[in-house]
Amino acid sequence: MSHDAQIIYLDNAATTFPKPHEVLSEMQEVYGRLGVSPGRGTYDLAAQAEETVSQVRSQICEFFGGDDPERVIFAYNATDALNTLILGLVTPRCHVVSSRLEHNSVLRPLHHLRREGMFSYDLVPFDGQGFINPHDVAGSIRPETKMVILTHASNVLGTIQPVEEVGIICRDHGVPLILDVTQSAGVFPINMKSLGADAVAFTGHKALMGPTGIGGLVLRRGLDIRPTRFGGTGIDSSSLLQTDTYPHRLEAGTINLLGIIGLSTGIRYVIKHGMENTYQNEMTLLRRLRDGLAELQPVHVYCGDNLDNHVAVLLCNIEGMDARDLGDILDGDFHIAARSGLHCAPLVHLDLGTSPSGGVRFSPGPFNTSRDIDVVLDAMREIVMSR
Amino acid sequence: MGMNGLDSVQPGSMYTVQIVDGREVTFDEEGFLLDPDLWNERLAEMLALEDGLPELSTIHWHVISFLREYYFANGKAPLNSELRKGTGLSLSEIEAGFPRGIRQGARRLAGLPNPRGCA
Repeated sequence: MSHDAQIIYLDNAATTFPKPHEVLSEMQEVYGRLGVSPGRGTYDLAAQAEETVSQVRSQICEFFGGDDPERVIFAYNATDALNTLILGLVTPRCHVVSSRLEHNSVLRPLHHLRREGMFSYDLVPFDGQGFINPHDVAGSIRPETKMVILTHASNVLGTIQPVEEVGIICRDHGVPLILDVTQSAGVFPINMKSLGADAVAFTGHKALMGPTGIGGLVLRRGLDIRPTRFGGTGIDSSSLLQTDTYPHRLEAGTINLLGIIGLSTGIRYVIKHGMENTYQNEMTLLRRLRDGLAELQPVHVYCGDNLDNHVAVLLCNIEGMDARDLGDILDGDFHIAARSGLHCAPLVHLDLGTSPSGGVRFSPGPFNTSRDIDVVLDAMREIVMSR
Repeated sequence: MGMNGLDSVQPGSMYTVQIVDGREVTFDEEGFLLDPDLWNERLAEMLALEDGLPELSTIHWHVISFLREYYFANGKAPLNSELRKGTGLSLSEIEAGFPRGIRQGARRLAGLPNPRGCA
């Protein structure tokens, strides 16, 4: 294959690429007009920028079925949002329930706090098809459990977790349910009320089609998070105390206006093109990939037998080959960008038996075609045949 | 599994020291040299033997030399496309030529640091 060939990008679970032209052009246009510090100062432009931000808060609140736009908190990404949430919600000697499917964005804050002696946690397992059992969550909840925090869709296996059932369990126990919707937001409808979620953490640069550097939290009214970062908010500036008022309570420093504009345009793009359409197209590609890989004997696909409750993520390995080398070969020899390694979710790979080199993850996005999948299958066939 | 398996994936705590040609050489938990300057051909042959390669061929040395020259010229390992162009070999060929593949094989034998990225 020529090295001048265009790359086939299949790492949309990490970041969707490329971004729609309308997202990039809107970012340039609006930021060109309003790129000042939102809500700082008394001049009109700052007020107009703040109004733009407020409108995006309302848009996001509606998108996720939240109950108060002022409980939409902007962050750099989902990891940043989850840190804000976890650090601001836990109390000494409390307990947290999570799962072994989690990304390091959840595992590392939890582990750090446990090592500091702050609290304890239990991680529920996943089954052979990549799903947690809600009964395991129920069995792990203790009187001192402060929250249940779960990924909505695994970033390694793509499995959509039974969070509605967990939501009922959490409500019955009076424990907040926090969902990491990093992999599902933008391809799968998320309504906090119907899922029973008290908070969702999202990022803008994946299926919401925004740029990197923007994400956030949507909090149910009544779920109070202590601030863990402190600084300028543009309100209550005479006080040395961080303001209690949402959203500023959890947003210290000038926010990422350019990212917020891109996120807003990305969400409009997603809605305009229809989440269901996008989801079905991506899953059609994933099934084509799964079926093709199944014909290659030394290729092992993980948790791909039934793709009904999945987002478009497929993990595989070639027997006897380091997954990172397979990723390098796909890139260097075939111009295919896929994500190899542990995907920042070390416990999933420990439990699958794929540590330490992990696996190769293919994640089609809205701009992939069936031809792209056929090129991948040809490449995988050639790699297998050459061994 | 201790600590839910989380502590078992902490890097940096299991270095080993071996005496090679009278010098102390430190390897990380995956057998990568900590100091690329301590590499020599004798060390590459020793690591190759560990990997099940009793002898390094001309092609092996060609790959190893390119990796080292690139690393010391640029302060980093080559990109996939640069490795292919610089060696004139496909990555599939390089992977197949070293029993432990590219990262754990060729790169380790060349004395380059452990590529911790990605994962």
